[in-house]
Amino acid sequence: MNAIQPVQVSIPSSGEAGSSPQLKGASFADELGRALGAVERSQLDADLQASRTALGGGNLHETAIALEEADISMRVATKVRNKLVEAYQEVMRMSV
Amino acid sequence: MDFFSALRISATGLSAERVRVNLASSNLANAESTRGPNGLPYRRLDPVLEATPFEGALGAAGGLDTGGGGPAGVRVARIVEDPGAGKRVFNPAHPDASDDGYVTLPNVNPIHEIVNLISAQKAYDANASAVDTLKSMAARALDIAR
Repeated sequence: MNAIQPVQVSIPSSGEAGSSPQLKGASFADELGRALGAVERSQLDADLQASRTALGGGNLHETAIALEEADISMRVATKVRNKLVEAYQEVMRMSV
Repeated sequence: MDFFSALRISATGLSAERVRVNLASSNLANAESTRGPNGLPYRRLDPVLEATPFEGALGAAGGLDTGGGGPAGVRVARIVEDPGAGKRVFNPAHPDASDDGYVTLPNVNPIHEIVNLISAQKAYDANASAVDTLKSMAARALDIAR
């Protein structure tokens, strides 16, 4: 299994569209990047646990739970992505 | 993520029950061992389980007073030897017999160990059920956003 490459999200500099002056702190892109990082970490953790079990060490249930965590985070990430694409397509369908 | 706290707590429970099963197996396997590394008969082992506080498991209810307790995982704090005396059997031909011809057997009662084994298995099942429940809750929550 190959490790998933780290996700890099370019964060718009302040003043650009997307970060309103009232909403200080983490931007949406920021949050998305962090969430994807967490997904990636859980995938790597599951990967590590699985290989450790295959090599004879590790606990079966810990591997199963790490896999389950990775699965749930992945599904959440996919869900968010689907919603984003849906919203984008909705906008593109608008007649100007 | 807060959602995974219950998963991690159940994982500690599963690990602890596995230790119990391992010790029961060890006790059963050595029910007749009249000598160990120290030259003495085997003594049955028992785990001491300890609740360890688990931060962040309460989520939105985090600020509430839990009366000093609060959610906790479990860990094996110690493994202790049973101090009880083993059965003595008269068998002068045995290599481990003492001068008066008696052999001291381990203080293992196989029936007791089997009961421990069943109880550990049931507890393992219960923890696995908690994991299953959380899994279906997560799937259900994701279905909302379909």
